[in-house]
Amino acid sequence: MKQRIGVYICHCGGNISDYVDVEQLGKLMAKENGVLISKNVMFACSDSTQKEIEQDIEENKLDSIVVASCSPKLHTHTFRNVAIRAGLNPYNYTQVNIREQCSWAHSDKPMDATIKAYGLIRAGINRVSYSEVLESLEISAQKVVAIIGAGVAGMRAAVDLARMDNQVYLIEKGNTVGGHVAQAGRLFPTNENGKEVVDRLYQRIRQQSNITLFTNATLEKVSGSIGNFWIEVKLGSEELKLNVGSVLVTTGFDFYDPKEGEFGYRLSDRVITLPDFNKMVENSKGKLIHNGKSVKSVAYIYCVGNRQSKGENRYCSRQCCTAAIHSSLHVHEKFEDMTAYHLFRDIRTYGKQELLYQQSSKNGDIYIRFEEKEPPVVELKNGNPTIKVKDYLTTKRELTLDTDLVVLVTGMVPRTDSNSVSSKLKIPIGIDRFFNEIHPKLKPVETVIKGVYIGGACQGPKNINESVQSALSGAAKINATLKSGNINLEPIIARVNADSCLWCGKCAEVCEYDAISSIANGGKLIAEVNKATCKGCGICAPTCPSNAIELAQFTDNEIESMIDGLMSKAEISPRVESQQNNQKAGVQSLAGYPKIWRTIANALEGNTLTIPQIAEKIDQEASLVTWHLMTMNRYGFVESAGLNDNEDYFMYKLKK
Amino acid sequence: MSHINPNFAKELERYGAKDFNLCFNCGNCTAICSLSTKDNSFPREMIRFSALGLEDDIKSSLKPWMCYYCGECSTDCPRQAHPGELMMSLRRWLTAKYDWTGLSGLLYKHLSAYIIGFLLVIVGLIVFAAKLDWNQEKIMHFGHLFEMFAIAGVFAIILLPNIFRMWLYTIVRPKVKATVKVYYKAFSELLVHMFTQKRFLECEKLQETQIKWFEHFILVIGYLSLLFTTVFLDWFGSENMFIIALGYVESAIIFVVTFLFILKRAKKTEALHKFSQPSDWFFVIWLFLMGITAFLVRLFIDIGILQNNFWLYLVHISVLVQWAIIIVPFGKWTHFLYRSFAMCFARILELNDMKK
Repeated sequence: MKQRIGVYICHCGGNISDYVDVEQLGKLMAKENGVLISKNVMFACSDSTQKEIEQDIEENKLDSIVVASCSPKLHTHTFRNVAIRAGLNPYNYTQVNIREQCSWAHSDKPMDATIKAYGLIRAGINRVSYSEVLESLEISAQKVVAIIGAGVAGMRAAVDLARMDNQVYLIEKGNTVGGHVAQAGRLFPTNENGKEVVDRLYQRIRQQSNITLFTNATLEKVSGSIGNFWIEVKLGSEELKLNVGSVLVTTGFDFYDPKEGEFGYRLSDRVITLPDFNKMVENSKGKLIHNGKSVKSVAYIYCVGNRQSKGENRYCSRQCCTAAIHSSLHVHEKFEDMTAYHLFRDIRTYGKQELLYQQSSKNGDIYIRFEEKEPPVVELKNGNPTIKVKDYLTTKRELTLDTDLVVLVTGMVPRTDSNSVSSKLKIPIGIDRFFNEIHPKLKPVETVIKGVYIGGACQGPKNINESVQSALSGAAKINATLKSGNINLEPIIARVNADSCLWCGKCAEVCEYDAISSIANGGKLIAEVNKATCKGCGICAPTCPSNAIELAQFTDNEIESMIDGLMSKAEISPRVESQQNNQKAGVQSLAGYPKIWRTIANALEGNTLTIPQIAEKIDQEASLVTWHLMTMNRYGFVESAGLNDNEDYFMYKLKK
Repeated sequence: MSHINPNFAKELERYGAKDFNLCFNCGNCTAICSLSTKDNSFPREMIRFSALGLEDDIKSSLKPWMCYYCGECSTDCPRQAHPGELMMSLRRWLTAKYDWTGLSGLLYKHLSAYIIGFLLVIVGLIVFAAKLDWNQEKIMHFGHLFEMFAIAGVFAIILLPNIFRMWLYTIVRPKVKATVKVYYKAFSELLVHMFTQKRFLECEKLQETQIKWFEHFILVIGYLSLLFTTVFLDWFGSENMFIIALGYVESAIIFVVTFLFILKRAKKTEALHKFSQPSDWFFVIWLFLMGITAFLVRLFIDIGILQNNFWLYLVHISVLVQWAIIIVPFGKWTHFLYRSFAMCFARILELNDMKK
């Protein structure tokens, strides 16, 4: 039990103290068992308050602290660092949330909010008095990385990781490297050939002696955890077991494969997909020839298999507009007298790619906008396509056009084998069926599995540039983690009481992370927690029939004492009205506000009126009255009195 | 159901259209145009028709004539698609479509055709003058007669059938059924717009527009009255001081105003002067030449330089003949008629809609 606890209750500049009687709570908490110091502070997170807490810890030799302010999501690390700086173990600190879970949620009932805050803080004090000194876990890590998928993203990340002195295993399922890019033909914006880009990367990989490339290799099984993963790879009949510190997944995407009959696909050889068209353009010289017939006009149909409001691919693949326009420019440049029709839904040539769109318009390409509910219809007469489309840019006029070739601009879909990769590595899959990062902005390449990172289009549609960028950021994160050879982990994990454990295996069954296994101990089997793999989710603790497994910082003592704290009866006296609250008293106090407020208030004295009526009465514009009345409503001077008789306007009255 | 014609854009480029395919349909041009209305909106729609090559829709439309080319749309176009110039090109294209002889199209598309035409006129005149033994009086008499017959002839053979065709495309084929009363009511619109161009005044920019409108207005009035003064009052032969002075003023107005127009076209500071076509140049330059030569011919008569006046008159008459048989029936002059009739036809459509 702690005897020198410091309690800090935050005003949050009014966010809390406007509703919760922080000052009274500060006085009450000082009387709690073990509490040496209890203060209320304007901003607990401010530099000066942090220093004040540090000083208190040092001067009064505090053995634990409680900060009652906002969500632990925001400032756990702030106050852990305060503790560390003052020489206190950071786990002897407890955060109590009296803002999101109290003052904001109960702003209508300040008295009840204060009572709730009282319970929450007492729970925090009780909990911290049972808190233990915990040390963060340090495990050794292999400076070895497995990269799954040798497309441009994986290859480029391999080069960087290898140059930063990591051993890299580049594991590719196919028999060649480069993935879709190797077959892509001319690329935006440098007009290099995809094959050239891949060749260049391949040369760099060969120059790095610490990259081992496995082709025709399949991922069989993954075990272990950050620092020490075991990856089983099948190479033909051979099986390899690789010990790696971290894994980067760059498995890429598939192009959407149109269904038979979708815009005439597979019903005629004159309907092809954009990737196939690009290969055709690449292989034609002088004239564009398709199956022996010369092609003079091409109609591109956009968003095929994407942005389906009712289908499973609701997302936009973001690179296909540019890809189609870039192909059209290439065709215009390479062959004479070509006509291009672009049947699009929206053109999304963001950033510098906009210039391609502009150039294509300048070349005379014809853009026709359709909507999903009225898609173009490809009719085939003797195999020759005619397209019927309602052009939303021409008052939905129904147009027809004859074309030699229909090119379906297909979007990206998750790879068919992504489920098996996901289940082996335990990467969550999003509703779009691509791999999911932890946070799209703040943790964009991390997965919930420590040590497993995702890069490139396996995460969602990306162009080459974006794919390589995300893979490189994954590489940088991996290198930062493995660099020292050691990895620090949170000590908030499960632990087993060897005496009472009887190894029934129930905890191992429920563990999502395979972190629990059995081990012989003193002539019997007991459960053992893999410290690196355990995420501290706590699901094992309640399943144990002999109560032999618990989670650090969430021990039975801590939880039970918190419940006691919450249940304790509060003796709160009603708050003495402060000056702030006087503002809400009524019309008399309108002195400091705009003159028109007093005019409106006078008009409303003893009346309930609608906005037009007020406007007429005080001879002002209704819009001006609306603006001021809404502000007065916000400040609590007036309130709504329901609809008028015609039910076309709200009535307002003074708030008493 | 309309069929897309991808070649139309190329055809239109030969009439002076520039980069209109750059349009990404934002509609700024239509929003900013002070003549565009909810029921009669342009230029975006016209750009769209042009990009898709919907010729029938353009041919039956009066909208190109509703635009007076203030140039605001081109100035504000975020893609530099020059919507104003597209409307101008559509007027040229329509002029060619209305013309039953096909010569308008030929002249718009080939500068060489213009030059050959002008040269043929000069050669013809020299041969004719030689036949008349270079007799100044006879030639001046011929000139006077020519003006009368040219007006009547060009109007009867070329312009009247062309206006009939315009009526056919815009009123008859779209199956607009209008009563005689409606035609009668709309006819006043024709005269008002023909002589005042009052719609021009509704273009934005206020003062600038007023100045432009005024220049244009006095040019039209000056031109028409000079025509009347020379043809019916026989300015060159008249002894009446009032008529002589009137002719001087009118011809001076013409060459001063057209000189200003030529300067503006050369400077290209305003959007509407950025892309002058040969037809635009010929129109202003020939008007200028007509004005100044007429002025000088009369001046030489009045101060008695008769020797040199013969050659000057020959220049004047060749400019006049080129004007009357090339520029008036097949060139830019026709916008005077088509625009006025377009206003009249538009009024017919409007009155018909109101009845419904």
